[in-house]
Amino acid sequence: MEKRLFIGFRYCTWVWLSMMILTLATRLAGNTGLSGLSLSLTVLGIALIKGHLIGDYFMGLRRLRGFWRWPVTLWLTIPGGLVATAFILAAQS
Amino acid sequence: MTTIALSTDTELRYPPGDLVIWIFILAELGVFALLFAAYAFTRLQHVEMFNHFQHTLNQDAALINTLALITSSYFVVRAVAAIRENYARVCTYWLLAAMAMGMLFLVIKSLEFIHHYSLGVTLHSNTFYMFYLFLTFFHFMHVIMGMIILAAVAIKAACGGYTATEYTGVETGASYWHMVDLVWLILFPLVYVMR
Repeated sequence: MEKRLFIGFRYCTWVWLSMMILTLATRLAGNTGLSGLSLSLTVLGIALIKGHLIGDYFMGLRRLRGFWRWPVTLWLTIPGGLVATAFILAAQS
Repeated sequence: MTTIALSTDTELRYPPGDLVIWIFILAELGVFALLFAAYAFTRLQHVEMFNHFQHTLNQDAALINTLALITSSYFVVRAVAAIRENYARVCTYWLLAAMAMGMLFLVIKSLEFIHHYSLGVTLHSNTFYMFYLFLTFFHFMHVIMGMIILAAVAIKAACGGYTATEYTGVETGASYWHMVDLVWLILFPLVYVMR
């Protein structure tokens, strides 16, 4: 009964592979001809997705209810939003 | 049956490991969040300077470091899965593998620091380097702390200190290590790639 709640490592293997590919995509994005803001928001979005994968699957927060389900999500959303705002303002100035 | 339901409910309410480490993790994440926001809004006033000096950073080294930390986090997941099956020795091996990835990160990051230091780059060089060195060195210290924690957990696991019914220490160490990985996942694009 208890083991059923755990997120299996085989599932985490796919998550790990996905994050490796997303990381390589981030590096490749740095080499493309994307403009500054497009590049910044793309790689920030990729980073936030990877952060969610770490929180949900590696930290195991996906199976939680209540308060502890949300701190990592909020941590990614609030600073991520602030960073995105700062980069958008920089692009407009 | 009622007992199982209650224990299941408890599993779902609290994160893995000791709750104290999670309070510590939230505090650490809060500090890094402030630093990330400070970096982004300070850059707003020095866009050209930040973009110029960002090109002096080694993105390939940062890429390898990112892959190393993600892989080490995955190895820690495998260590937790192993101890849940009561495979203490396998758990130890996975933890050692995770530490090897952590050591790779430390070596590459140290080489980067040495390279910058040899070029005369310090915290006082300019605002970009101040943020770069402070953020990455602060994170570097957290990696060292994580390595110490993983080593302590690995030694205890090797000595039979954890079983399939008592492995809170493994989950506690794992949670801290995942936090170190999580922070780097944002730090890497922010400092090395976004411009």
